[in-house]
Amino acid sequence: MSEEQYEWPWQYSFPPFFTLQPHAETRARQISVWRNLVLDYFRGTKQYTLDIREASRQSLFCNTAINRKLDTEFILAILSDLQRTQNAAPIDKQRHRWEIYWHTLEEWANMIYNYVSSSGATNSVLTLFELTQGDDVQSEEFCGLDTDVLIKVLRVLENERKCELMLFDDQQGVKFF
Amino acid sequence: MRRRAGVGAIQKQRLEQEKYKDKGNEIQENQFEQMTKQLEVFRVNLEEFAAKHKNEIRKNAQFRKQFQDMCASIGVDPLASGKGFWSVLGIGDFYYELAVQTVEVCLATNYKNGGLISLNELRTRLIKARGQGKQHQEISQDDLICAARKLKIFGNGFSVVSVGKGQYMVQSVPGELSMDHTAVIQQVANSSQAYTSISILRDQLNWERDRAQKALGHLLKEGLVWIDLQNPTEKLYYFPSLFTACINSSN
Repeated sequence: MSEEQYEWPWQYSFPPFFTLQPHAETRARQISVWRNLVLDYFRGTKQYTLDIREASRQSLFCNTAINRKLDTEFILAILSDLQRTQNAAPIDKQRHRWEIYWHTLEEWANMIYNYVSSSGATNSVLTLFELTQGDDVQSEEFCGLDTDVLIKVLRVLENERKCELMLFDDQQGVKFF
Repeated sequence: MRRRAGVGAIQKQRLEQEKYKDKGNEIQENQFEQMTKQLEVFRVNLEEFAAKHKNEIRKNAQFRKQFQDMCASIGVDPLASGKGFWSVLGIGDFYYELAVQTVEVCLATNYKNGGLISLNELRTRLIKARGQGKQHQEISQDDLICAARKLKIFGNGFSVVSVGKGQYMVQSVPGELSMDHTAVIQQVANSSQAYTSISILRDQLNWERDRAQKALGHLLKEGLVWIDLQNPTEKLYYFPSLFTACINSSN
């Protein structure tokens, strides 16, 4: 769905939701709601990466209707918590850019491997494009999966000896076992 | 004829006074006996009345209130005993059930309102949760206040706070609300917003800055309010229990 279609939870229109709360229990709940919101929002809009420097332009972190937004510190707190549960990872040293795993890499790996096995595509080579954009996968959850994330997912499978990546300049493919 | 203040006269006077006193006592005792008899008759009639209108009492909130008032006026508490006549009527059960369900709703919504819920919201959620049967639908504000009062026997965990204009809040966390804290809740409940601030309290309640700060600080510490630091002029303190979108949400 598009960003405009996303349905926000009640907290999104609650002004103090954008201020990191001092009360421990309240803060824990607040972070928990933000975590779920980030993951659900990225999943709903099929996005995989985020740049903190651009965050204030995203409606997720910035509700112009009530003139409230998350500051960088707060966003980092949420991302760090997501990282803790393997639902996010920084992809540059300054921790400006992040990948968001609304399914963890493990979960993606299982999903893709199950699909490949059940569609009898083991022992044949698939291009990465086919795997995430082909006609056959249009109704799959991993359709449209970001290439960089996909490669990380496939490396997980590689470690389990369930596939072998073949990355060349002109072609990117994978063979499943 | 001149009365002679002799010893005999004094004794006679005293005797007569005693007689009057005895008569007075006698009259008093009679009256008491009569009243007791009358009350007994009244009580029996009341019980008959209750038995005859049992269904009405269960189903009709206004009738129920009138019945309660009637009992109260003669010093009878229909909810007092767990055994005997009244529980046979099922009236005790009704309030007991309500009280338990009140606790459930408070516990279920605690995570988002910090343990403070308006009686209106409580009532709405209870009605929704109790199901569609005809005898379940009518629950009045008075019923809830009555049920909530019963919960006081468990200590200070539950209390009903009046916020003026016929509105009430139910607090379900330990830790008492002082009169100042209650005043803040009342002020917000009566405004058209879910927040307050130091200057609002100074303006509306005529408080000194320190007093306002102290009250708000306590409410924040107890988790009953959230703080908003992005308001341009001053910090705002929000009650999720009074924020419409929160009240209406199911999560």
